[in-house]
Amino acid sequence: MSFVNFKKKEVQLKIVYYGPGMSGKTTNLQVIHRMINPTARGDLTSVATSGERTLFFDFMPLVAQAFEGYETRFQLYTVPGQVIYNLTRRLVLRGVDGMVFVADSQWSKMAENAESLANLADNLALQRERLGDIPCVLQYNKRDVPDATPLHYLEYLLNNRDVQLPTFNAVATTGEGVFETLNMIARLVLHRFLAVNKHKEDGVRELVLV
Amino acid sequence: MSRTLNENTSNELHRTLCDLLVLSEADDCLLCDTGGYVLAREGDGDHDPYQMAALGAGVYGASRELARLLGEREFNVVLHQGTQKSIFICAVHADALLVIVFSQNASAGLVKLYAKPAAVAVRALLEDARRLAMEAEDLAGHPLVLNRAGPLFRAGP
Repeated sequence: MSFVNFKKKEVQLKIVYYGPGMSGKTTNLQVIHRMINPTARGDLTSVATSGERTLFFDFMPLVAQAFEGYETRFQLYTVPGQVIYNLTRRLVLRGVDGMVFVADSQWSKMAENAESLANLADNLALQRERLGDIPCVLQYNKRDVPDATPLHYLEYLLNNRDVQLPTFNAVATTGEGVFETLNMIARLVLHRFLAVNKHKEDGVRELVLV
Repeated sequence: MSRTLNENTSNELHRTLCDLLVLSEADDCLLCDTGGYVLAREGDGDHDPYQMAALGAGVYGASRELARLLGEREFNVVLHQGTQKSIFICAVHADALLVIVFSQNASAGLVKLYAKPAAVAVRALLEDARRLAMEAEDLAGHPLVLNRAGPLFRAGP
């Protein structure tokens, strides 16, 4: 659920990076934190185990001028990928506006990818949401590994649906595909924000700049 | 649908939270929802309110699950006491929280005492805001115009 403060002229939107353990969710945020202009981001907060596995979540706010005269804050979160932390994933998903599903391209991780995507759908259902209704982007990460799964198989496994999700190939450790993924999910979230509020009231409108 | 706060509600929240800070002698007060959105903030703390909200909502959510494990519906408050600073978190209603930061000069009892009526006042304000949003009154006159000049985020300075 997005939040608009008309007095502060601020819009807040929440994007969650989801996916199996070690697929590269935290790496996405670390790379964004390292590469983006520091004025456009806050600190990256990680609640991690001593082994640097995400225990609770990672969090980083990004600021953009998405709407004229308004400051738009995208709150980026990751979830812990390990199966045992499902309650934590549910907490982090509360109020989500958009999701990036980070899939691991290694052959050996296909079952975990499918299980994690099914888990995402289950957790969304618990808060009365559906995967197809909330903006979601698929990121096929680790495309540089020697045993990378062919893209058509990843598409068959994870994107076999009536309305396919946008997909990006990535090597998050080098930054490849990270900003493309981020910009796509940010756009989708903004479009849905406008669409949802337009249904309610004409006071929110969209203008195409030329 | 988005959660919205118009100027009147923001001003009322400002007044309520300022009163809470004065009466309780706390340093900083944050109103956030359980999804981690910052709804309002008052005080002189230099902490990033967005990180405070994300972590505060996470802590409260985790404590609620712990309460359920013990057969409780939820713990009314969460208190973390440090040597210099402490944090008091209480629910305003099902999906909003007050996160209050206070120093060793203030007392947890005083914070708890004044947090309760403040939470009641804030709850009424948020319910009014929700009603207004349902009636689509407060989006009128606030056109949001989307910028479409290139990608929102870029690598590099």
